[in-house]
Amino acid sequence: MSTQTVESGAAGHGAEPRGKRDDDGQATYLIAIAEALWEEMERDERVYMLGEDIGVYGGAFKVTEGFIDRFGPDRVMDTPIAEETIVGMAVGSAMEGLRPVAEFQYADFMSSGFDEITTVLSRYHYRAGVPLPVVLRAPSGGGVRASSFHSINPEPWYAYAGGIKIMCPAFPSDAKGLLKSAVRDDNPSMFLEHKWIYRRIKEQVPTEPDFLVPISSAAVKREGTDVSVITYGAMVHKALEAAESLAQRGVSAEVVDLRTVYPYDEETVLRSIEKTAHALVLYESYRFLGIGSEVAAMIAEKAFEHLDAPVVRLAPPNVPVPFSPPLEDAFLPQVADIEAAVDRLAAW
Amino acid sequence: MPRAAWLLRPPGPVPYDAANAAMHRLAERRLAGEIPDTLILLEHPPVFTAGRRAKDDELLWDPASVQARGGIVRKIDRGGSFTFHGPGQLVGYPIIDLGTTPDAGGYLRRLEDVVIGACAELGVSVDRRAEVQTGVWHGDDKVCAIGVRLLRARVTLHGFALNCDTDLSWFAGIVACGLPDRGVTSLSELTGRAIRVEAVRPSVERAFASRFDVAFEDAPDEIVEAFTVAADVA
Amino acid sequence: MTSIQMPQLGETIVEGTILKWLKHEGDAVVRDEALFEISTDKVDTEVPSPVAGTVTKILVDEGATVPVGTIVMEVAEEGAPAVAAAPVAPAPAGAAAADAPPAPAAEPVGVVVASSIPAPAAPVSQPAHVAASVPDRGPRSQILSPLVRRLAREHSLDLGQIAGTGTGGRITKNDVLAVIASGGTTAAPAVVTATAPDLGTAEPAAPPAAAAQPIQLGVGDEAVPMTHIRRAIAEHMLASTQATARAWTLVEVNVDHLVRLRERVKDDFERKHGVKLTYLPMVVRATVDALQAFPDVNARLDGENIVRHRLVNMGIAVSYDAGLIVPVIKGVDGMNTVGVARAIADLAARARAHQLTPDEVQGATFTITNPGPYGSVASVPIINQPNVGILSFDAIVKRAVVVDDAIAIRSMVNISMSWDHRVIDGELATRFLARVRQNLETWDFAEDLGL
Repeated sequence: MSTQTVESGAAGHGAEPRGKRDDDGQATYLIAIAEALWEEMERDERVYMLGEDIGVYGGAFKVTEGFIDRFGPDRVMDTPIAEETIVGMAVGSAMEGLRPVAEFQYADFMSSGFDEITTVLSRYHYRAGVPLPVVLRAPSGGGVRASSFHSINPEPWYAYAGGIKIMCPAFPSDAKGLLKSAVRDDNPSMFLEHKWIYRRIKEQVPTEPDFLVPISSAAVKREGTDVSVITYGAMVHKALEAAESLAQRGVSAEVVDLRTVYPYDEETVLRSIEKTAHALVLYESYRFLGIGSEVAAMIAEKAFEHLDAPVVRLAPPNVPVPFSPPLEDAFLPQVADIEAAVDRLAAW
Repeated sequence: MPRAAWLLRPPGPVPYDAANAAMHRLAERRLAGEIPDTLILLEHPPVFTAGRRAKDDELLWDPASVQARGGIVRKIDRGGSFTFHGPGQLVGYPIIDLGTTPDAGGYLRRLEDVVIGACAELGVSVDRRAEVQTGVWHGDDKVCAIGVRLLRARVTLHGFALNCDTDLSWFAGIVACGLPDRGVTSLSELTGRAIRVEAVRPSVERAFASRFDVAFEDAPDEIVEAFTVAADVA
Repeated sequence: MTSIQMPQLGETIVEGTILKWLKHEGDAVVRDEALFEISTDKVDTEVPSPVAGTVTKILVDEGATVPVGTIVMEVAEEGAPAVAAAPVAPAPAGAAAADAPPAPAAEPVGVVVASSIPAPAAPVSQPAHVAASVPDRGPRSQILSPLVRRLAREHSLDLGQIAGTGTGGRITKNDVLAVIASGGTTAAPAVVTATAPDLGTAEPAAPPAAAAQPIQLGVGDEAVPMTHIRRAIAEHMLASTQATARAWTLVEVNVDHLVRLRERVKDDFERKHGVKLTYLPMVVRATVDALQAFPDVNARLDGENIVRHRLVNMGIAVSYDAGLIVPVIKGVDGMNTVGVARAIADLAARARAHQLTPDEVQGATFTITNPGPYGSVASVPIINQPNVGILSFDAIVKRAVVVDDAIAIRSMVNISMSWDHRVIDGELATRFLARVRQNLETWDFAEDLGL
């Protein structure tokens, strides 16, 4: 599949055309997500959406523009600014047999409903045997100068709850296929859409109504022989760029995109390590207790005898996401940082 | 090439204490390498023996009743729970050095094979049960109990007790081998004929020689006599 | 310092309970003195001390149940080191064999001896003496990554012979792969390196039987340890070949009429007797008669005596999933063809189901093997000790033969015998086989089939 980087407006707020693909049939990550929602709403009338400004306004990022005209206000429901209530409503309606897809304006605000998510939603099936087919979706991640209230990578917090499947796709097709799988899955899921990717990455996206990507399956996005870069989300694109640059110098990096971060696909990761014997775990959630710390520990434990060097992690420090652009750039792993880490590993 | 082994057949019934003491002394001598592997075959007067795992409430008759019937009760150093020995039951005490890497499970299986083979020769089909319950059975009824201890973790003590024409009413006095829902039977009961210890013993000797790859010679007289002399306390 | 472990009393015994400490901290012990009483699900015993000395530490309470191999007590030896001289820290089997002098045969149970105690999960990063020593080309040249060690171990490479091109002289994965690709061996033989325990399982790893000789493996080769039965067969066959003066004779037998007979009656036979009619019972009967006519063939050599057996116990070689086994039809000389057919069917079925009793695989006085069904037309079998001969009955094949000076097509079979020249000679062997042939060619088996 070919991808193209498309520049957006400053913070990607509602300034671009949406609802249609390009003339050549390519869809951006955002359009692919909108298509997934539309198709699932058409397929199953138990599916409905709720969130702040998703109905009349068409959503803060315009993902749901046009939906309320097609599906009506009962199925595209505007809510107050009350995340705990949004989750509570999703839980309650799921108990009654509906399949809610709740949107949060920014992933940062999900923590207002933290208890409802972690204590109720993630544990309900364990307690009562009743499945709750709830999807929580939110734009996450940084690199867009939106600072610490609008740039969080919350996946470690919610992975810790243990009862929620958490997806962080990096490509439009993966996003569409995973979101459709999440809606159809009877388990609670959290679908984190990296806002940096929304309008920057586009590709040919399948149109079959039953096109699905399996949850908890990773994908090798670039094959290589010298080093494995295990990563997800926006970092996948940085890793691919670094890999291209490394290849010019004769270092062959393999890039593995986890796609789902909890539960994640250990098998694909291990197979890559067995091939290359070098592991760089690259992730945007904080270094301490971020998703990559778990992956790194697993690699050391299960692939010890395949390693020719220690497992190395590359991730931002545990500090609030900076607002000042140079500071944010220093905070996030950049292509040059990835290249340097790979060089160090290969030379260990 | 089969190894030489001693066969002891003290004329019986042999009092339990004497036999138990003599068996332990022989085991010490075997450990020291002074004597070869030995098989003792005998009968006992009525005795209930309690192994290490025997619980007091598994003896259903009080000691006075046991004594009134002509039996005795002894606590001994083998594993397992209560069992009964008496006339009509062929008791075997193999004293075998299993070496420094003993395979106790394998030894118990071989003992079971010996009994199964001997019974087959007599036309009686018996079998072992699942790993957990050592012994030889006919369906749910046990025809031969097996209980073993090791001396210094290598020389075998105690052994097997095969009911030939034992008076099975004695078994009502105990929860045999700690298993309340299993019955006890004898070769005579299984075949409807009187099968006596004397008839069974040659088959057991042959089966043992074959399974353990030994050639028996009779033990010296003074060894045999030790079994019939009044014992020190076991 | 000697560590005393919960001993292994049998393959299926995985734990033991300490019933009673017979010796306590501070007590003096002599060698072989009982230290503690244990109970397992199979047997009880007391555990003797392997050394003389003083009990320094008791690590487990009375009544506790611990897995086999758990260290339960420490004893400080007095005077000279104990005979075993094994290192105190539990070492994987291979490493101990490389380090310690060989343990004497009469080692009492309970000592940390490499061959008998399963290795608990020990950290694999052993000190450098475990792997071959690597020439010191700088501090980093001594670093051996887990992958490099594993590759060296699997391909029996001497790391001391491999040049390191990594940073600071480190031997890298590519350095090792280059050696493997170029032929797979290095100058010096490999020293056995520690086997990494599997951290994922709860059970202790079973140590290899003989850790001393490393196996040379080419890339892609696989070493499969021999099963118990395979080893037994190997020993038996080797012993037989070495002990006997083996010679071999073959006769051709015209079994045309038997083939036609069998075609005619096999369905009735199976219906009436419940077993298939093969040629083997007929061959057995023919052979029994020959054995009775030539008793030196139904014999064994015992020292300087040829012991002629009164009865004929016929061993029938059966191949099954675990290898080869020879069940025995006892007293076959008293059976007719139907009886032999039934006995063969029963024994073969139970052999394949692993249900033969020990008595049923011993005591053969003569043996027959029948590789015919697999297609061989002549075989040279190995004598089943301690028999004098083993007869091979191979495939029945239609051949062109000369009958009355004309060519005719007949069903023919090669019957041959490997025989022990210490006991009989060629003339006897040939006459014996001639008798078997005569029986097969002239007897009317139809009467004997009970139809």
